[in-house]
Amino acid sequence: MSSHSRHAISFLVPQAAISVESLAKLFPPARTGWRAFLQPFEKITAVALDGLSFEVHEGEALALLGANGAGKSTLLRILATLLVPTRGHALVAGHDTVRQSREVRRQLGYHAGTDHGFYPRLTARENLLFFGQLNQLSRSAATQRISQLAEQFHLGESLNRQVRTLSTGTVQRLSLARALLHRPRVLLLDEPTRSLDAIAAAEFRRFLKTEIMRDGHTSLLFASHTLPEVELLADRVAVIDAGRLLACDTPSALKQTTGTSSLEDVFLRLTGHDVSTVHGNPAV
Amino acid sequence: MIRIFRDLLLFFWRDLSIARTYRAVFVVEAVEALFGSAMFYYVARFVDTPELQHSLPQGGSYFAFSLVGFVFLDYLNAALDTFDHSLEEARDSGTLEHLLVTQTSLPVFLVGSAIYPFVATTLRIVVYVAWGAALFGFPLHAANWLAVLAVLLVTLLAFSGLGILSASYLLLFKKGNPAKWFFLGVSSVTAGMLFPVGILPDWLQFVARLNPVAYALDAMRASLLGGVGVAGLWRSLAILLLFAGVLLPLSMSVFAWSLRRTKITGTLTHS
Repeated sequence: MSSHSRHAISFLVPQAAISVESLAKLFPPARTGWRAFLQPFEKITAVALDGLSFEVHEGEALALLGANGAGKSTLLRILATLLVPTRGHALVAGHDTVRQSREVRRQLGYHAGTDHGFYPRLTARENLLFFGQLNQLSRSAATQRISQLAEQFHLGESLNRQVRTLSTGTVQRLSLARALLHRPRVLLLDEPTRSLDAIAAAEFRRFLKTEIMRDGHTSLLFASHTLPEVELLADRVAVIDAGRLLACDTPSALKQTTGTSSLEDVFLRLTGHDVSTVHGNPAV
Repeated sequence: MIRIFRDLLLFFWRDLSIARTYRAVFVVEAVEALFGSAMFYYVARFVDTPELQHSLPQGGSYFAFSLVGFVFLDYLNAALDTFDHSLEEARDSGTLEHLLVTQTSLPVFLVGSAIYPFVATTLRIVVYVAWGAALFGFPLHAANWLAVLAVLLVTLLAFSGLGILSASYLLLFKKGNPAKWFFLGVSSVTAGMLFPVGILPDWLQFVARLNPVAYALDAMRASLLGGVGVAGLWRSLAILLLFAGVLLPLSMSVFAWSLRRTKITGTLTHS
């Protein structure tokens, strides 16, 4: 097929919000001592992602399910333009994450699971204003949006306090609010409800489902170990193990294919872990 | 253009807001400047002789000569230190990744993070000189302020490139600032900070002629103590601008390459 034909067809077929094609990521091996000095120039040999291919459609929520070290965060960081893939391509809203990283960032809301990245001596409001304006919101638009999100995330009282005085859960809510500030088309959330209490987590899931995803244009790719959350939010689930995509389908289709009745069993079956071994009882 | 200017102001506002939460620091620095000025004044009283004064480039007191050398060192230090310090802080606080996923460009992030430290250093220098003038007779009557400003600006441009190279080193190797170590080390001997270059042996005077810090410091003393205008400083300013013209684009390219390398190796947030 000529490139002209492909171009013509791309106008007819709806563009995927996220498109990942044969994506591989390798890291250099970890070094200590004097060899750590050479690490920036070491050969990359440790496989984190191994030829992933999938798409997230506009308005769709896709969950990444995998054990620790499976490659979920690496994938999210590639899509957030924080890592360069070794092979393959990742597109966000049709833009390549390496060659068109600025256009990609314009479409993105990113929440990192591990650290929250705020200025501890600025207030929560000052932090949100700063990041909101760096994402090209005017000061008045940012202020208005912060008020909306503060109400949604119960941040009202905390907004005028320095971040260093806030609880871990409140900082987590603040981080989620930051990811949503500029109404991104694509949301990348790494363990979004970690550190949230049960009520805050439930409220956040409801907010995502009813307020953010309702418009049908925002797409969500999230990693989570909380299976009820995955079941509630995700239209489809991608099961990843050792950097490889094992399956990607709706929760019900995955259960049907694997002949199981829960996502936990789906995960254990696909990754080859024996449930009884996991629970400490060797299989009979 | 307006957007870039607005983003730069945002970084300044961020750093000013953080600095305001450490109010005692302003008082401590003002007192430190007083003691610093006093120290140079009494050292000068101890060593000053008519012969020494005669050997100084502007022929003034050793107090004025050494205080200008010292505050200039502070400025050079800021230019060399600011970029990697901002980067290290952003990395360690976890804000670096969140800044890099905003729509801000890399140069804006780098330059924006340097504005407040440069302004703060300028104010610190003003306080040093103000104490010196108010209490110890530092001569300000001859200063050509336009030329002083021009020299400061060109100095910042010239040495910021080295600062950005230091930041690139930090990205790749996580710790250390060899550009600062090398430049401050060499400059402390060959730039004429606390003694005139003329007393050095010939080979070190040759090194001094290759060191742009010596030209910057000469220009600063000439404008502040000797009242020389911009036109009279053209040679020094041209050398510094040439240095900036080569080093700034080079350092930005090296920084962009280093950042890409850390995105390949996955070590962007490693400390």
